[in-house]
Amino acid sequence: MSPHGVVDRPGPFCTIQDFGRRTGRRAGLAPGGAMDQRAYLWANRLLGNEPAAPALEVTLGGFALRFAVDTVVAITGEGCAATLDGVETGTWRTVRAQPGQLLRLGYGSTGMRTYVAFPGGLEATTAFGSASAVVRDGMPGLLGRCLRPGEPLRWHAPDYRCPVRRLPDELIPPVPDSLSLPLVTGYEWLDFAAADRRRVFDAGWTVDPASDRTATRLAGPALNTGPRVLDSTPLVDGTVQVTGDGSPLVFMRDRPTIGGYAKLGSVDPIALDTLAQARPGTAVRFVRAEPQALRSALARRESFFGIGQAH
Amino acid sequence: MITFPGPVSALVTLPVPADRDGIARVLGLERFARDALPDVRATIPAFNRLLIESSPHSWDPEEVEALLTAAAKECIRGTPPEPETGEPVSLPVCYDPDLAPDLADLAAGKGLSVAELARLHSRTAYVVLATGFAPGFAYLGDLDPRIAMPRLPTPRRRVEAGSVGIADRRTGIYPAAGPGGWRLIGRVPPALFADATERISRFRPGGTVEFRAIDRKSYQAECG
Repeated sequence: MSPHGVVDRPGPFCTIQDFGRRTGRRAGLAPGGAMDQRAYLWANRLLGNEPAAPALEVTLGGFALRFAVDTVVAITGEGCAATLDGVETGTWRTVRAQPGQLLRLGYGSTGMRTYVAFPGGLEATTAFGSASAVVRDGMPGLLGRCLRPGEPLRWHAPDYRCPVRRLPDELIPPVPDSLSLPLVTGYEWLDFAAADRRRVFDAGWTVDPASDRTATRLAGPALNTGPRVLDSTPLVDGTVQVTGDGSPLVFMRDRPTIGGYAKLGSVDPIALDTLAQARPGTAVRFVRAEPQALRSALARRESFFGIGQAH
Repeated sequence: MITFPGPVSALVTLPVPADRDGIARVLGLERFARDALPDVRATIPAFNRLLIESSPHSWDPEEVEALLTAAAKECIRGTPPEPETGEPVSLPVCYDPDLAPDLADLAAGKGLSVAELARLHSRTAYVVLATGFAPGFAYLGDLDPRIAMPRLPTPRRRVEAGSVGIADRRTGIYPAAGPGGWRLIGRVPPALFADATERISRFRPGGTVEFRAIDRKSYQAECG
């Protein structure tokens, strides 16, 4: 089967991702999936794909793809400057490519992750209902590893054509210099000392360079590590856990399903998209969440993109 | 006790011990929640807790709390329903100091021979109290108090696949190589964890796991 494109350079961390593994949570499988779901969903939307079609997640640029067919792709997200044969294309849009042309996603000035979607979605190995690579666990999306130079890619509808589609500027999410993360307090929240509970909302942290797809680690004032948790507790997306040295971390897509440290609650699931684009050093504060407002926003997103039906 | 750790999730903690009886009650509550609540997307039973995740379209926290409070009260009364967990899982373990770096020290510290420690570890029919941490990892209990020890103060950077560890009153098998802080007392032939699907689906909460001691020769034979 001849490829529709070949990865010339994958960059520091390029994986196949979709909307994540909805099943297997009970057996300990990480949800996985695109770190910035909003950017990923828009990439598929621009091509008229199924919302959860497999796409590429490129981290901090350094990526190049040589096309073997006349086709269309969509590029969304942050963290890169996109060119086709050296001509700047911009992002949050579809790009038509000819055989032999080279799409480069160079290192950009803001953000962390860019999505490249392909018409019909990438052909990819799936396991437990998803093509998302969880590199730590060796779950599919090319056997749970990062893409390599020379990796052949195929997608389901290379002949798809559409006029250039761009996301209107007002819909492109900004990449802020500092983040306010809505926090739903829960888990062992009430067992933390009152001084710590105040500090959570009064203090500020920065995104630590040791952050990855498993967790965004926060550097800054230490919290008392709270109560000792005897048995591990099931986690939700965006759970904020306080590790042994008193630093909070926010669990991201490749998180474990249960955790043994004391937890403050969880971050607004939609705010995780913005957090996924925050470079090390970005200032982060927690603000009190209003759960009903978060539910309404989640419901609107699910209806708009056609996602989230029960599994 | 019911708390809401996220905008569309509820965590129920039953006031029961985290043992065979406790996880059976949690699994009873899980069945009720899946039937009674609309649009349940995921449930995770673990020890004496149950996490329920649902849909933002249908989640009414007051209604959920009322339903789950009533159900939790029912679940802690009487005899818990028998969980649907399939056949017991039986795994061979080689208790050899060469394969288990904490075995000799732990036995010495407890005033036991390696063989006695192996016997105390392999004579219990354990129950799966939770799955998670890594895909295919199961928290098994309860460990005989005579061999219980807290986890290592500093986790090892690398634990080999198939390693059998203990931590407090729990024991478990590392299904893949990686960092880990449990004290290592034996090894299951890693070939038993080679198939990802089998590895991930082997243990089910509430199920029974038995270990049978094998010698080094049989271990090598199983390793192929």
